[in-house]
Amino acid sequence: MIGHLILRNAMHRPVRTAITVLAVAVEVMLVMIVVGLTSGLMYESAKRTEGIGADIMVQPPSASIFMAFSGAPMPISIGGKLLQLDYVHAVAPVLIQFNSVNGLDIVYGIQPDTFNAVSGGFVVRQGTELVGANDILVDDVYARAKKVKVGQTLHILEHDFRVAGIVEHGKGARLFVFMSTLQEMSGARDKASVFFIKCDRSDHTAAAVDEVHSLLPGYEVRPLKDFLSLMTSSSIPALGAFINVMIAIAVGIGFLVIFLSMYTTIIERTREIGVLKALGASKVYIVEIILSETTLLCLGGVACGIGLSYLVRMISLRIWPSLTILITPKWMLLSTLIAIVGGLLGAAYPAWLASRKDPVEALAYE
Amino acid sequence: MQNATKMILSAPVCSLVREPALEPILKTENLWKVYRTGKVDVPALRGINVEIFPGEFVSVMGPSGCGKSTFLHVIGGLAQATKGHVLLDGNDLTGMTDAARTLLRRHKVGFVFQKFNLLPTLDAYHNIALAQHIHGDGFDPHRFEVVTKLLGLSDRLHHKPSELSGGEQQRVALARAIISEPKIVLADEPTGNLDTKTSETVLALLRQLNKELGQTIVMITHNPEAATYGNRVLHMRDGIVVDGPAVH
Repeated sequence: MIGHLILRNAMHRPVRTAITVLAVAVEVMLVMIVVGLTSGLMYESAKRTEGIGADIMVQPPSASIFMAFSGAPMPISIGGKLLQLDYVHAVAPVLIQFNSVNGLDIVYGIQPDTFNAVSGGFVVRQGTELVGANDILVDDVYARAKKVKVGQTLHILEHDFRVAGIVEHGKGARLFVFMSTLQEMSGARDKASVFFIKCDRSDHTAAAVDEVHSLLPGYEVRPLKDFLSLMTSSSIPALGAFINVMIAIAVGIGFLVIFLSMYTTIIERTREIGVLKALGASKVYIVEIILSETTLLCLGGVACGIGLSYLVRMISLRIWPSLTILITPKWMLLSTLIAIVGGLLGAAYPAWLASRKDPVEALAYE
Repeated sequence: MQNATKMILSAPVCSLVREPALEPILKTENLWKVYRTGKVDVPALRGINVEIFPGEFVSVMGPSGCGKSTFLHVIGGLAQATKGHVLLDGNDLTGMTDAARTLLRRHKVGFVFQKFNLLPTLDAYHNIALAQHIHGDGFDPHRFEVVTKLLGLSDRLHHKPSELSGGEQQRVALARAIISEPKIVLADEPTGNLDTKTSETVLALLRQLNKELGQTIVMITHNPEAATYGNRVLHMRDGIVVDGPAVH
């Protein structure tokens, strides 16, 4: 009976219902897109790093797991020492630069022979591998997103590069240049940001990690199979706080909209509340009606919000193909919970107010 | 004041034959209700003593502002008395908490209002069923059928209030009031919003409910003709009953 009543109430004011549902949907979408975007970027970055095919990654002491933030403080000569370790098959030094011209990109400075030895080489879709000092390789996702063609000039890091080839994505970065060129440009002669190590056998990874630790005490030595699990929002200082702030804003929106909607509703339905009281409806019964209606509106908003999130993701990926927005069941569930809790909090005061209405005054309400 | 509040014994409009041992379903003793408006106390009821017995159909008449509606609200447990006692089916409402009065209304009182007060979002069927749901004993299809048939609503059940005439809406309100078999039905100007012909139909139905189902009814009305449908009339003035308070 309550179900029927709240459904009829919701349908009685379709515009109010639609606006409330839409507001909750925006709340859910905001949470899912913000979280999906941040985790998607990290996931995608981690997958690309894993895709290099290395077994171990070596960084200087206290370096961030986000390699673009770490500069280039390691002498490249370390690579030679690493190569002499028992279980090491190949070592690829990489200089990483963060480019903010025409978008945000990570550029890998590589030595093609060592990088290919570790990664198994690029799959070239168009053009060739790096040949000249000013050549650049772009991956297919970047090429599609920026409409880049082989042979064109690309202005990156305040430098003009010639696009030598378009390669398959998934090898660490989306842009690759000669390491020597990048070292020259960034004043990091003979320096590298990271060493990728390929072991002679995958099951020797742990032993190789121990060897590197012995050789380079204090350095960050990470097996790449663990890399994906390390790339979480908690790995970036303030990112967790940023996500929490966005969630708080979303909950705030939901709270205020539901509060306003249900407050207006109970004012509008004052006489009906009086009738319910005259019929003997208890305070709990009236609170139950208000909160059930809120839950219904929130669930409608959640359903629309999830749909809206997929729509926004679809549109975003059309506009920016290199973006990754992860929509996961975990966050669908959390967004649902956030929307319902925010909504119920917003409806709590109006529900309490309704339950305390004086029946005689309520029945006389015009 | 004492003279005014004193019970005035008079003959009922229609004589009732009642067993001497019959207990009143409703009894008020020196019932007062005082409203506070700003710093001024406004007494709406000023010491009412009445007894209403099971199966009676009592009309309450009086000029506007004499306290009829307040009387109805207090005896129906919608408002708390300021002083005195209201005994409804043996339960004293005066000392009751809001929750206890709610429970009492749910099980013992049915209300009918001048403005019908049906829930606009529900059809007639659900407006009536809602009362049963709140009552808590579950849906009784037999009772539902008997009541809706008696009130001639069988073919109007799936219409919303906005699709029903005033008379039909009041019949739905009547059905809602009696569906849970209350001890007493309190009707506040049930024909106040109806034309003469429809009023007669509704009043006839009230009388039919009283006669056929033995439903105790207290009806407030301005209309002397409407009052004659009851078998006793109470006249109120300035918060007191001035005529016909009890049957002996």
